Amino acid sequence: MEQMEIEKDLQTRELTLNMGPQHPATHGVLRLVLELDGETVIKCTPHVGYLHRGTEKLSENRTYIYALPLMDRLDYISSMSNDVGYCVAVERLFGIEAPERAKYIRTIMSEMTRISSHIIWLATHALDIGAMTVFLYSFREREWLIDLFEMTCGARLTVSYPRIGGVRCDVSREFLDSLYKFTEEFPKRIEEYETLIDQNRIWLQRTKGIGVISARDAVHCGLTGPTLRGSGVSYDVRKHEPYDAYPFVDFEVPVGENGDVYDRYRCRMEELRQSNRIIRQCIEKMPDGHILADDAPDLDMPPEGRKRLIPDMSLSHACISLSDECEHITPAGEFYSPTEVPKGELGFYIVSDGSGMPYRMRFRSPSFVHASALPRLCKGHMVADVIALIGTIDIVLGECDR
Amino acid sequence: MTLRDIAKKIFFLEIMKGLALTFRTMINHPVTRRYPKVKRDPFPGFRGRHAFVRDSETGREKCVACLKCSIVCPSRCIRIEYKETEGERILERYEIEALRCVFCGYCAEVCPVCALVLTEVYEYADYSREHFLFDRERLLKNWDDFSSGLKTDTYFNKFWRPEGIDIKRMPVGKRLQEPIPIKHEEKVL
Ligand code: SF4
Ligand code: SF4
Repeated sequence: MEQMEIEKDLQTRELTLNMGPQHPATHGVLRLVLELDGETVIKCTPHVGYLHRGTEKLSENRTYIYALPLMDRLDYISSMSNDVGYCVAVERLFGIEAPERAKYIRTIMSEMTRISSHIIWLATHALDIGAMTVFLYSFREREWLIDLFEMTCGARLTVSYPRIGGVRCDVSREFLDSLYKFTEEFPKRIEEYETLIDQNRIWLQRTKGIGVISARDAVHCGLTGPTLRGSGVSYDVRKHEPYDAYPFVDFEVPVGENGDVYDRYRCRMEELRQSNRIIRQCIEKMPDGHILADDAPDLDMPPEGRKRLIPDMSLSHACISLSDECEHITPAGEFYSPTEVPKGELGFYIVSDGSGMPYRMRFRSPSFVHASALPRLCKGHMVADVIALIGTIDIVLGECDR
Repeated sequence: MTLRDIAKKIFFLEIMKGLALTFRTMINHPVTRRYPKVKRDPFPGFRGRHAFVRDSETGREKCVACLKCSIVCPSRCIRIEYKETEGERILERYEIEALRCVFCGYCAEVCPVCALVLTEVYEYADYSREHFLFDRERLLKNWDDFSSGLKTDTYFNKFWRPEGIDIKRMPVGKRLQEPIPIKHEEKVL
């Protein structure tokens, strides 16, 4: 009798748990509000915006050239790719074609960024799930790549290296030699990472069958990059809308089958090998020549978007490049230009009114779209798996909040 | 389940393989550096603290107050005041707010007389904000600090005349720029 009365009073209630924004496993300042039934997630609501810096608005007040250093700060792990994406977009707007050599250099740089970004993804993802060793080893290879960035452009993370119409300075012989040595070493290193986690039973149990998303759902959510390809959809901007030197190199787009955390991991590991292949081909095929297009705008282009004066030898003209002989070069109109960054498809939607500054600039950042897929992925999983799921969609909050 | 699979399950083969790798790395040479004791030399062209090149003839900066650097600066952190006499600009005030700077190097690249440079100094943390407002004197002092630490006899920043860019695009001052000779003070024994 008493027993039944007690049981009548006992009820279970859902627990609302606030995860983040200062949680070490949320890869930045992502805040998730989880509704839990026991240990099972019933509902997950992501809140973004803690790292909002107004990059889109800031770039409206700058000419196309000065807005470039802002793009470094979108996804600070792969700043080179963002810059290349931005330059490709503005070049398409201006109708400038970068020289061959610059295209190859930019392709090399994008792929180096892809490797370093995927390495850091692997490191943090494995660390979240509990494999600490990979974290330590992968930073060794990343350091090599970042040293190479420093050798070329003088900065390690916020590179500002590409320029509208080419790149800022040429790569040196030592750079190419060292990078070639890297491409010879790197496949061995990938095998090392795989030895550590590929067959590890803890890793397999934490990743297989977790966060399954079907190809149809993935497309509907707007996922791109390896997160989409893990579900078996072969979509890659590098193949479908090639830019820079991608049409001239040979590479494959790896796809998964089941669309779970493990398949996405396999996809990214395979992409590391493909990026390595692309870099090798680019070094072998690297043409000679200039690295900046003749009609590329100068760094000191005035806001009206004028072409610079062709400098003559007299000193007074050489110092001051504002002149009546200039002509407007920024066309008006709006367009969208996608590029493939390590995280997925980074698109720039630019509305230009011909004034030399963008009237409106909008970024389609993969991290933002991927974060919006979290509720669907997390539903019905355990709390511990939420960490694995945040890792698998590979988000960087700097890019998500912009 | 084959015998192999069972053996794998019982003896934790895959974990043993991973551990073997870890132990191998233990006897390798470490790749890390003990930072404050062992310093890392940045590559030439590293974009660090700003400096004004000290002209060996006048002993002052070479800046001609053309304002190009303050125009290109994406974070708008360069402030310049000048007065104009007989068509010549005399620099009166020059300030860089280093705390707002994003170290893009555009100012050094655009300067027509190669007066400004981003040196390879990266350790300049300080306790007060005033020390990061670089005025003319401080910028010149930065150069002295930097050049006294140089091991070579000449210095040429790679952003003054970036390699691979058509030299016709550059103003005369940049085309003719020679590497700056560095005077090392004789060590008195
Ligand atoms: S490095 Fe860039 S942000 Fe810093 S002062 Fe020069 S132009 Fe401005
Ligand atoms: S660009 Fe050079 S010369 Fe012109 S104001 Fe700046 S430092 Fe002086």
